[in-house]
Formats: sequence, C-alpha cells, structure tokens
Amino acid sequence: MSVNEKEKEKGKGKEEDEEELLRVSINMDLEYRWSGGSYFTKFYKAWKEERKILGSKCSSCGRVYLPPRLLCAKCYKKIDEWAEISDKGTVRAYTVVYQPFIDPRTGKPRPVPYGMALIQLDGADTTINYFLEENDLSKMRIGMRVQAVWRDEIEGNITDIKYFRIIEE
Amino acid sequence: MKRNAAIIATGQTKHQSKRNDANQAEMVFEAARRALEDAQLEMKDIDAVITDNMELFEGRALPDMWVAEGAGAYMKHQLKIATGGTSGSSAVIAGYYTAASGLFDLVMVVGFEKHSDGHTFAGMTLTNPFWDRPIASAAPGNFALSITEYMASRGVTQEQAAMVAVKARKNALNNPYAHLHIPDITVEKVLNSRMIAYPIHLLDMCPQSDGACAIIYASEKKAKEFCENPAWVKAAITRHDTPYLGDHIDRLATIRTIRECSRIIYKKLGITDPVKQFDVAEIYEPVSYAELAWYEAMGFCEEGEAGKLIEDGVTSMDGELPVNPSGGVLSTNPVGASGVIRAAEGALQIHGKAGKRQVPDVETVLVHGYGVYTWCDMMVLSSHL
Repeated sequence: MSVNEKEKEKGKGKEEDEEELLRVSINMDLEYRWSGGSYFTKFYKAWKEERKILGSKCSSCGRVYLPPRLLCAKCYKKIDEWAEISDKGTVRAYTVVYQPFIDPRTGKPRPVPYGMALIQLDGADTTINYFLEENDLSKMRIGMRVQAVWRDEIEGNITDIKYFRIIEE
Repeated sequence: MKRNAAIIATGQTKHQSKRNDANQAEMVFEAARRALEDAQLEMKDIDAVITDNMELFEGRALPDMWVAEGAGAYMKHQLKIATGGTSGSSAVIAGYYTAASGLFDLVMVVGFEKHSDGHTFAGMTLTNPFWDRPIASAAPGNFALSITEYMASRGVTQEQAAMVAVKARKNALNNPYAHLHIPDITVEKVLNSRMIAYPIHLLDMCPQSDGACAIIYASEKKAKEFCENPAWVKAAITRHDTPYLGDHIDRLATIRTIRECSRIIYKKLGITDPVKQFDVAEIYEPVSYAELAWYEAMGFCEEGEAGKLIEDGVTSMDGELPVNPSGGVLSTNPVGASGVIRAAEGALQIHGKAGKRQVPDVETVLVHGYGVYTWCDMMVLSSHL
C-alpha cells in the first residue's frame, strides 16, 4: 500500500490554502474458487467428451434454458430433463464494442473493436451472449445465421468456442 | 397496522466525478444532515435508518457498517438494501414499508456511491465465470445489444435517442446538484461524441458520479408537523426477473418488469392515461435509448411511438408530462444514490422546493428505478393524502 504518486503530483501547484487530500491506490490479486454445481458440471462434461451442448428443459412448460439451470423460475419446478442444442443459431441482437473494457479474466483491457451478439441457438429458448468473428457493422443484421467456431483443444469451458461465424444456409 | 406515510424532507450532495474532499461516510453524513435541516429535525428524532450502495464498485467490505453513523444509525434500527441498480429505489420502498408499518414514525433513507474509489466497469463484468464472464462488456455493452434489437423492432433512430440525451442535460442546467452541466449540448454534439458500443455514443450514456442522497419519511400523524406539503406515497411496487442477459429476447421492447409494475400500480390507482394523470415523472434512464423504451413500457405512448413522443416535446419541461426535470440518471449517476434521487426529486416537486426545475402545480409524481435487466421499482407520490 502506498500513497498514489500521481495524486500527489496533481496536488502540486494548487492554492497554498488548499489542503492536500489523501488517496491510496491498492492492487489486489485474490483467488476466488467458484463451484459450478451439478448442472454446469454435467453440461461441460457432455461438451468436452461428446461435443454436445445441453440445455435444461422444464417438464412443465417445455422451455429450454441455456445455460442449464436447476429450476424454471416461472413454473418454480426443479428441472431434470435435458435437451440437445445445436451450435448453429440466429442472431437476435448485435453490437460492435469500441471501448476497451477490462477483461475480468485478465484484469487487462480487451482489444477493440470486437463484434458480439445475442444468439438463439437452435433448440434453445434463451440466447447466448458471445463474440462474433465479424467486427464490421455493415455485415451484421438481426436474423442472420451463425455457427460456433471451436478451438482445436477442447478444455471444457465456454472459451472453447473462439467466436461465432456468419454462415449462409 | 398499516398507515399512510410521506416523504417530508430531502438532502443531497453536489454530485461530481470525484469527491476528493470527502470519503464515503462523509458524503453520507453531508446528505443526511441536509435532509434533517430541510425538515428542521435532529438526528435523535429519527427512529430507523435504511442505507444502500453497490459495494463491489468500491471494493470495501460492509460499507453499511462504515457509513451507518453518518446516516445517523447509532443505536438505532438500520438495514441495508441491495438489488443492483435499483438498490436506491428499493431502499426508498423499504423506507416506506418501515414508516407505514406502524413500528417507526420517522425513517431516514440514504443511498450513496463513490465511483471514483473503484472500478465500476470491472465490477459490472464480474458475471458467471462458467458462462458470460469472458464476454462481459459492462453496462454499455449489455445495453448496446438490446438497443440494436429495440431499434429494429421499433424503428427509433440515433437522432431520437440523442434528443433524450439533450433533454436530460438541458434540464440538468436547472439543477445545482446535477453532475453534468453541458450548456452547449446539442443533438449533433451527442451524435459526434465517441462511439462506445454501436449505437451508443459517449453522450448517450450516464456518467459515473460520486454522491449521496437522503430522504426522510414520516408516518401520517407526524408528516404535517414537519412538512407543509408532504409527498404521500400512494403505491409502491417492485418486480424481479431471471438472471442472465440472454434470458430476455427483445429485452428493451418487452421489458417485463417495468410493464408488470406499471400494469399493477396503474390498476391500483386508476391510472388510465399516465401522460395526463402524472404531473412529473422521475425515471431511471442509464442510457438515452432506455428512456424511449420505458415510455412505451410505462404506457406514455403506443408501442413504436416513443420517438415521436420525444420529437413532439411531450416529456420536456414545458410538455404535458415533464420527464426528469432533475436531468435524470443521464446527468447524475452515483448508482446507489440514483434511485433515492428519483424519489427525492419527485418529492421536491410536491414540496414545491425544486427551484429552477420546479414544474407548476404538481400533484402526482411517478418515481421509477431500474436495475440491470432484472429489477424494476415504481412508486407514486401525491400531494393529497
């Protein structure tokens, strides 16, 4: 912990009667260990071992949730049924991001620009928010079809998908 | 045991990008003292305290403990409320329940945020590490996605959104507490500002502010004693939805939480024509486009007519229903305080103490809070018991 030198620098040259105000800068490197629970565990096992995307399906209303989850909030029923979902889907919303937001996995700014979209994968009632290969706005439209481009090594997490590519069908 | 309650006093700090001269507790103390002065009360008169903020943004454990004494909670009932961006408006509702319960007569609510202490965007990206964390792009990224969807389904334009941004910043010039004061704001200036995430320009977004806001509730028998024109709570409601951004297809156009809150609260109060029946609305619009979507969801216009509503000036200061005379969230956003500010500014209009931003003859005010895509709060205030 140290007094932020920049702030001290800024304080210089101000009116003499203005009190120099204290500010500290702290960097924290903390490890958090989240458990995925039984649904994400099963989901990524099928993803890694069988290359399948599984949603959870409410047996009461038939809604298929991605990511899978333990209950259908609307019916308040525990979900035990699974449904296979395609890696192809339809873009419901898109954007190109120009602001370099911090990537929470690295703590560093994410390179810009990048395209991202809400994609309704075939077989799901919800959408997935993910990167697009394309970052040219003029090539994007709502309703366009996309497919996941997978990395060569499948590790069992969401970033096994590099991005979604626009496809013609 | 339930009884009527009213907002009898308000107090807020001058919101700005960086309060180097005050820490979190000092800002809370400042807002709470101003509210007490407004009602000529002393802290010993207050029976219960509600506080709120977004603690992850500042990275400090138990902020409610550190700010409690500034909020006047020493040896009193104190609770902290947390519902994301609605935390402030939910604290406002919790304060109402506390005063209306019959258990406490005078209740202080204080919300604050000190964005300059921490990492708002980083805090916003701490989503589910098994799912959406790698792509999380803070509030502007989330909104941008929903906005392209909304524009496609409703045909609103970047110019119409920019008009919302201009209205807010012009109104803010009348509010000495507002963060952004941009006297030369124009639609062109908004459209020429840096693109953050298509189609959101920098000036379409709210700022990050340091600030605190306090309100005081009184039960029916005490309200008149301390306030000439109490702002009576006629109804309050909150609704929650499912957690993932991707759960909500066509989110802005369908915004279930706001539509459900409006439906229930309007039915309860017999509101059939909100533009005519409300005199002022203070709504939570973190981005210009959201205000257009909220107009539709709150029934201020027909579906798809929001762009026309802003063009026709219906929601400007001299329009039929001025929306956000304060300058709104687009001009001032200390998140934990923003929902409290909506209620405070709504109450000020009924108290007749809104200064240059006062709308004449205000009787009924709609107050609204919005949290990510999952929460909505609404409250209706009235000059009549």
